[in-house]
Amino acid sequence: MAHVLIADDDADIRDLVAFKLTQSGHQVTVVEDGMAALRAARENTVDLALLDIRMPGMSGLDVCRELRAAAETARLPVIMITARSQEGDVEVGFAAGADDYIIKPFSPRELSSRVTAVLNRVER
Amino acid sequence: MIPTSLVSAALLGLLAVVLAQSLLIVGNRFVRRHRQRRRERIAAPVRGPLLQLLCAEEDEQTELLYRLAEIDRRTWVALEPTLTALLGKVAGGAHTALVRLYELRGAAVDAVADLSSRSAARRGRAAQVLGQLCHRPAAPSLCRLLADHDPEVRLAAARALGRCGGPESVPYLLESLHGPRTVPPGAVTMALVSLGPEVQRSVAAGLEHPEPLARAVTIEVLGATGVVSHASEIARALREDPQIEVRIKAARALGRLGMPDGLEPLLAAVRPGGPVALRMVGAGALGSLGAVAATGPLAKLLGDPDPHVAAAAARALLQLGPEGRAALRAAADDRSGGPAAAQARAALAESAVGGARHDVRAEVAL
Repeated sequence: MAHVLIADDDADIRDLVAFKLTQSGHQVTVVEDGMAALRAARENTVDLALLDIRMPGMSGLDVCRELRAAAETARLPVIMITARSQEGDVEVGFAAGADDYIIKPFSPRELSSRVTAVLNRVER
Repeated sequence: MIPTSLVSAALLGLLAVVLAQSLLIVGNRFVRRHRQRRRERIAAPVRGPLLQLLCAEEDEQTELLYRLAEIDRRTWVALEPTLTALLGKVAGGAHTALVRLYELRGAAVDAVADLSSRSAARRGRAAQVLGQLCHRPAAPSLCRLLADHDPEVRLAAARALGRCGGPESVPYLLESLHGPRTVPPGAVTMALVSLGPEVQRSVAAGLEHPEPLARAVTIEVLGATGVVSHASEIARALREDPQIEVRIKAARALGRLGMPDGLEPLLAAVRPGGPVALRMVGAGALGSLGAVAATGPLAKLLGDPDPHVAAAAARALLQLGPEGRAALRAAADDRSGGPAAAQARAALAESAVGGARHDVRAEVAL
């Protein structure tokens, strides 16, 4: 199973996503802002990053761009989380190098399937 | 000459006020944080089962549901802000489970009672919960709450009506745009759009509203929901409404609706001599309309003395497909074209950059 990095400033979402992915057998690292996400991605062996687009300070988009710019994290799969009212962020997210996106409100089951799908795509 | 003692006293007084206010802010934050931590501590033992419920398969939910529905009142009150927040953040089986939990707990009845609470926070949260639960019987009470003295409560009521209201809520939402206690137009528009096409006949009555803001919101909603049966009334608003804001909304709505009835009034709206803002939006709407017949008039607008109108016309031509692009290329190649040629070249260059961005995005997605 994979090691997933979860970065979201919303404690409810963080806990829910961490619970679901742990239940699905993944190992998780949970952080609440962009800077911590970047540090965690660089210091740990992470297989996938789930980033909330809107976080105070360094946004998920900025984190994604930084990850893509560094050789050691350039190929790390990234899934963005965004609110329905900010669907315009999706295009910007893809341009920043995201592999997939999840729109809030989301079903935990769908989230787990998306994570599995992206991980499978990378393995191939 | 002001005596020094008076100046000193005034300065001291000012300092005292600043200090008192700072203490008040710090104290407030402390109390709020303390309450939050206390709530988290009380709710902590049931947070695990709640997450388990949200992630469980349908056949595993029942036992967890009953366990959570039976928690004591103190724990429920501490957990409720999390539940309310999660209602708006989860979908599918997780959302259904939360709604069932509220039903089992009889929380909708509590929330209806809370709509008349003395606490604005409680009224607002109750409105939010009732909206998330789509509790239609609460709609009349929510309509009354649109005139609440607290703006946050009015906003929560409008949002809730967008989920659980019906045709009878529409006049209240439109009225909430005026008077001493208003709801922001964006929130009213969102609520009316969320109510869907089935209430749009009631919405259309707003076209005759005496207040321009109500007419503008009505037109925006009709355009956004794609109710084409009112296109001719919107076209009339574009031609005849005395307020420019209403005419601008009408132009945009006609573009979105994409009906042939929109062509003539939009062409009339972009004619020289009219208000620049209307001509600009009108040109954009001709592009959204997608009528190839607008190619000629839009090509003429490339040389408009107002650069905003000319730029809007150039972007609109891009939306018209091959005919529009051909008109842009012809204008761009015209060596004596002046500003019109420059506008055409800029639009074509912008489109090329956009296309490249799209290619990059598609590559990343693959």
